[in-house]
Amino acid sequence: MRIMKATFPHLLHLDVALGILYPTLGIDILPPPPITQKTIEIGVKLAPQNACFPLKVTLGNFIEAIERGADTIFMVGGVGPCRFGYYGQIQRLIIEDLGYDVRFVLLDHPRYGIRPFLEALWTMAGKTFDFPRVVRAVRLSWSILRFTEELEAQRRALRCQVENPGALDAIVDETLETLRDVETMEELEILNQRVKEKLLSLPKKEKDGFLKVGIVGEVYIAQEKRVNFDVEKLLGDLGVYVHNSVSTVEYILHTFRPLTRSRDKMEAWRLAKSYLKRFVGGEGIDSVGSTIRYAQEGFDGVVHLYPFTCMPEIVAKGVLQAVSRDFDLPVLHLAIDEHSGEAGLVTRVEAFVDVLERRKRRRKVEVDS
Amino acid sequence: MRVGIPRGLLFYRFFALWKTFLEELGVEVVISPPTNKAIIHHGLVYGVEEICFPVKVFLGHAYSLLSKVDALFIPRMVSFHKGEYNCPKILGLPDLVRSLFRVDAGVLIDDEVNMRDRGMRGWWEGFLSIGRRFTKNERQIGEALKRAEEAHLAFRKKLQEGWLPENIIDGRLPLPSREKKVVLLGHTYLLSDSYINMNLVRKIYNLGYSVITPDMVPEREVRSALKALPKASFWTISNEIVGTAFSFLEKERPEVRGFVHLVSFECGPDSLVGEVVERYTKRKKSSFPYLRLEIDEHTGEAGIVTRLEAFVDMMEWRNAHHESYLPTSSAP
Repeated sequence: MRIMKATFPHLLHLDVALGILYPTLGIDILPPPPITQKTIEIGVKLAPQNACFPLKVTLGNFIEAIERGADTIFMVGGVGPCRFGYYGQIQRLIIEDLGYDVRFVLLDHPRYGIRPFLEALWTMAGKTFDFPRVVRAVRLSWSILRFTEELEAQRRALRCQVENPGALDAIVDETLETLRDVETMEELEILNQRVKEKLLSLPKKEKDGFLKVGIVGEVYIAQEKRVNFDVEKLLGDLGVYVHNSVSTVEYILHTFRPLTRSRDKMEAWRLAKSYLKRFVGGEGIDSVGSTIRYAQEGFDGVVHLYPFTCMPEIVAKGVLQAVSRDFDLPVLHLAIDEHSGEAGLVTRVEAFVDVLERRKRRRKVEVDS
Repeated sequence: MRVGIPRGLLFYRFFALWKTFLEELGVEVVISPPTNKAIIHHGLVYGVEEICFPVKVFLGHAYSLLSKVDALFIPRMVSFHKGEYNCPKILGLPDLVRSLFRVDAGVLIDDEVNMRDRGMRGWWEGFLSIGRRFTKNERQIGEALKRAEEAHLAFRKKLQEGWLPENIIDGRLPLPSREKKVVLLGHTYLLSDSYINMNLVRKIYNLGYSVITPDMVPEREVRSALKALPKASFWTISNEIVGTAFSFLEKERPEVRGFVHLVSFECGPDSLVGEVVERYTKRKKSSFPYLRLEIDEHTGEAGIVTRLEAFVDMMEWRNAHHESYLPTSSAP
């Protein structure tokens, strides 16, 4: 039997966590090269024209990984009604028709057959019987995934506050690289402490009352800065404190409910109820709920990021018009796809921040007088 | 009480059921007029700009009814097939109407009909909760639903005989049958609104072909053909489209000369299942003609005509040469 070289789609720093997990499970992995313009071009060329953007980018990931020697693809399915649950089927068809000799391992919901589910799980989990070791590896990679998200949260929150954002980026990026070699929870804890100290020691601007903007939207586009033109950085450089309500950790916790639960998401769903009565697939209801939460927490504005034509987010967009009106909270909708241009996006974000600044100043005047 | 049903989306599928059900409960039913320019205009003004064209048309219809009725009938048809869903936009339709038109929740009849997990129980509970808005008598609701289901079956039967929903709704006779046929794939709300599809069925007829729509194929055949897929999608209507196409790939029907797939530009499910149909067609009958027509509010009639004419030429030419290995053009 040949040795399996498995690949998987990128989602921000997922490859760091999986890079820790898989060697322990005895599976050789070959993560796709980082997402570039080329990845997007490959995906756009091969995917159905009107498919949503994440399908195209992840397809580009697969092709680039295959060309570098991967022979097995790990992908997950879903139960709908969002298109994501059908990505794997379409991508498999395309890769088959291209004539690549690869194995497509699709982990789908058990409702589509318990046997394929177990087979896929078996392949993805490797054949290690050293359970304590596996449990340790899962725990470590899960903590690492959490840690990468904390790092990004620090980065977006601190960017507007520090004197030199370049130094901030250097610390975060360096830590992300170091993370790939972490082997135990103790090492992770030490790294965590060291980063905290470093971040605390960064010289801060002597300013207060930053504009606060929350990010809501679809789980892939709202996080993957390599395709969303790094909106977070853009906002931070304009002097805005940024919070992102979208997180892979919460997404996974929510997916495995009721075994695990995400308090954030449950809260968002509860808040959204009076505007969007039910789950409409993807993160539609989360976007609505998180926007309401940002309004209650006194944020100045919300940026809604989603792939162009995303069905759940379009429903959310319609509903957000009412939320925005009722809570008097400006919402900027940014649909991203292969035709999005950076210049246009930058202009819109800058204009949005101008609007927020002016609103804030006017309010201050009203309060003072 | 006057209740308005917007003429759009699932109306074309459940016209008989909804109307009979409401009328049996003593409700006066008002149906919005056939789509016209003003309706589309309102849909475009009030709709979210990137939502698909049929939803915009639906919103236009809903708007045209708002001032004329006491309540709008927009049931949340989450699922009408076990284990499957409808598209997210249909799931969120009542909320969209509420948010975009700023109407009170009380004006909307938006009870959830969901057969996904609980099958007929979900169906009954959905209609029970709609019925309770009009009467406390549960037996009466049961009776009304039974009548409505009978009307629905009669409606479906007529569709299989070759009627289009809009023919039945407006009492117009369908076009006579032609010998040569194309399979016209697509959502009923596109195929059956001759204003937004620019009279496509008539255009195809004038070029010498009759159409077979997914509604005309028995559901059993559709579902059994669908088994060719390792995993069918989770959207009922899209599954029916795929199943219809597959059923014609399996059997030899010499009078069926090609597939025309009508999709709306923003349609999420069709963007994926269209690819499935196209790729399986190429795999199974490598030269079977397949045309994908995309429409939205910007579509020009001339473009559609040109593409149809070219497609018909291709089908004729292929048929005249009796060769099955000729290459065909594929949709972009």
